[in-house]
Amino acid sequence: MLDHERGWSVSFAGCGFLGVYHIGAATCLQERAPHIIRDARHIYGASAGALAGAVLVGGGSLAQACADVLALAKEARKRNLGPLHPSFNVIKIIRDGLMRNLPENTHQLSSGRLCISLTRVSDGKNALISNFNSKEEVVQALICSSFVPIYCGLIPPSFRGVRYVDGGISDNLPHYESKNTITVSPFAGECDICPKGNSANFHEMNVTNTSIQLSLGNLYRLTQALFPPEPKVLGEICEQGYSDALKFLKENGILNDSIYIHLSFTKRNHHEAVQHVDHMKTKNLTENNRVEALKMEVLNDQLKQNPWPLEKSIFESLPPRLRKALQEACKEQNGFYAQFSKLFPMRVISYLMLPYTLPVESAYSVALRLLNWFPDMPADVRWMQEQLCRIAGTVYSQAKSKLFCTSRKDNYASLRKCQTVPSTMEFHSSYCHLKMPHSSADLETWLWESSCFMHSAMKNAAANMQEHSDLNSYPNFLPNSDESGLEIDFDSSSETSFQTAPEY
Amino acid sequence: MAEEETSSEGLGWLFSWLPAWCPTSLLHLKEAEDKMLKCIASTYNKRYVYISNGNKIWTVTFSPDRPHKTPLVLLHGFGGGVGLWALNFEDLCENRTVHAFDLLGFGHSSRPHFDTDAQEAENQFVESIEEWRKEVGLEKMILLGHNLGGFLAAAYSLKYPSRVKHLILVEPWGFPERPDNAEHERPIPIWIKALGAILSPFNPLAGLRIAGPFGLSLVQRLRPDFKRKYSSMFDDNTVAEYIYHCNVQSPSGETAFKNMTIPYGWAKRPMLQRIPLMDQDIPITVVYGARSCIDGNSGSTIQSLRPNSYVKTIAILGAGHYVYADQPEDFNQKVKDICDSVD
Repeated sequence: MLDHERGWSVSFAGCGFLGVYHIGAATCLQERAPHIIRDARHIYGASAGALAGAVLVGGGSLAQACADVLALAKEARKRNLGPLHPSFNVIKIIRDGLMRNLPENTHQLSSGRLCISLTRVSDGKNALISNFNSKEEVVQALICSSFVPIYCGLIPPSFRGVRYVDGGISDNLPHYESKNTITVSPFAGECDICPKGNSANFHEMNVTNTSIQLSLGNLYRLTQALFPPEPKVLGEICEQGYSDALKFLKENGILNDSIYIHLSFTKRNHHEAVQHVDHMKTKNLTENNRVEALKMEVLNDQLKQNPWPLEKSIFESLPPRLRKALQEACKEQNGFYAQFSKLFPMRVISYLMLPYTLPVESAYSVALRLLNWFPDMPADVRWMQEQLCRIAGTVYSQAKSKLFCTSRKDNYASLRKCQTVPSTMEFHSSYCHLKMPHSSADLETWLWESSCFMHSAMKNAAANMQEHSDLNSYPNFLPNSDESGLEIDFDSSSETSFQTAPEY
Repeated sequence: MAEEETSSEGLGWLFSWLPAWCPTSLLHLKEAEDKMLKCIASTYNKRYVYISNGNKIWTVTFSPDRPHKTPLVLLHGFGGGVGLWALNFEDLCENRTVHAFDLLGFGHSSRPHFDTDAQEAENQFVESIEEWRKEVGLEKMILLGHNLGGFLAAAYSLKYPSRVKHLILVEPWGFPERPDNAEHERPIPIWIKALGAILSPFNPLAGLRIAGPFGLSLVQRLRPDFKRKYSSMFDDNTVAEYIYHCNVQSPSGETAFKNMTIPYGWAKRPMLQRIPLMDQDIPITVVYGARSCIDGNSGSTIQSLRPNSYVKTIAILGAGHYVYADQPEDFNQKVKDICDSVD
């Protein structure tokens, strides 16, 4: 897999809140085989995958990112409507988190290495962005890549003046077809690092390059991508990412043994670990590693002091820093109000109050958003105007072509749609060409004339249809029945020969 | 090229009604298959091989003029057909005869009624392979099976060991047992479990037939990767059309497959239980894609179950379940090496 001549890349799939899986996997790669990330040609990513990639390459802290995602999930779960509540501004939270987590020189670190998958709004095509001039540009590209339309908002963000939305819409797993790409996806399927489900089903579907095995587990994961589960479940997903990545490293024989001191810390108790450090010291442990080890000791001590809300057996394998982040996120709120609002009657009441509280909260959050929107307003309004003009233009041109061109076409085919027309009528279609073309100026008079003529023609139709050899304008009228839902029944000789019926 | 006109089979009202809803016919399938094989430069012949019970097996033969080497026989997987080997024929037939046929109940072959019992159905498949071999007149063969074909190739080797010189299992289905307790699986909400229970009585590809005229676009939507896999040969939707027409016909092999499985996707009679009974002299090579969701561990398990026999496992990097289409060059090279080691 790791061909040093041709190089390799790592590609992270877009997956919404399941991005914690990437954080787990990335932590494992960073700690157990740092050269995989360090020497990789490119780190590709879409949506949440791009966020993980940016933190990984751009010098952010993965543990901090994990804490941020869990905090975001908690924020999303706080309200009754979950992430759909108007006060949940996911883009703002992501932007703030990135601004905090990424260092100032992140654009230098990630330029040329981090490739962010975006979907251009104008043509729906994919764009891979890999050069950045400032930290703001990196963050803006990440925001564009994470912008799920409607879920995140209605006006797509722009990057260097071009509007983009979620990269997952056009290419969710960039460069997955290459042999030298290590693909990471939280959905069980055909990827290098992905969960192996409890299913032997080989049927799968392929969503913009991400292969998703058709299994119940994946269906559940899909629902979790935008509607986050409890922090505890997200923590388990994170751990799954870590262990899947570890499995991948083991199977491919690229586990870096010099780092296994981390494992020993988490697996043994404190005393043993110290002994282990001593043992390693004799084996030329570098100063750097020792400092690291001391930090770990402190962390481990902290972890021991706090009660562990999660299942120990599952999280034992995680590195302490990540464990700490998870632990803090999973801590229950102990305040009186938090406890009180969790009671069943309170929850029922809060749902019942929803019709009253929602408008107030919505108004408040809309006002807040408007305030935040002010700086971008002129550009967005201009964009909306352009879009409206374009839509109106398309509608107009389509309507124009439909209205005026149908009369010019040879409409023999649509004539045949009227099944009740006797076969003897078909010869009239040859008259279509005679009165062509009608200009739009005399369209109205022509329509009026022809309908009048039709009416009189209809009365006599049943009696002496054959004699109406001058029915020349009538086939020109018929095509309109397609659009207006007008159906002409020639078999009935009654006055009610005009029927407005829906098209079938 | 000896081709037979397709005779209409009387399957009652269902058969007369189906084409109206699903725009397909054997003729469509034949056209799609011709399109699949159009790009192959090597000469080949295609014909029906007649076996018992009035069944016929659609067979494609490449390089028939090389009798001194053991021929290679390709068994396709579930829902496939001979056309899916389009990227492999040319390389594989370089210096030996290659036969590929549509399994009984799939593709172009007859679609008889299979027994509902898993063992009986498996036996029917195996017997059809044996009858096919007799009819074609092969003494020994190198048997290569993908997916369901791998399972059947192993089942065939168990019953007729003297006919198999080397067994190549490519991403075989149905080897491991279903794990008893789902300890690793996270708890799944009830509504998803209920959905699974509702869908489990249906055939795996029933949705494709229910979709009727939208089936083809459904294949294109859900499996755009097939178009990419075969992009070196076709720019259009040839593969999707072929897969569609293969699977939208009356489900016979598909029903048999369904009866051989337990939810979700596990074999009723897992092959790993029986593999120790296999003739020790048959060498086995397991080829799997490194990215596939089918567990590559089957190879090492087979090895441990047959300590005195030749078992080799080959992983193909960057390949998923359809190894032979994902990385055709690597796959062809590996298979040719295996064949060359035979004779």
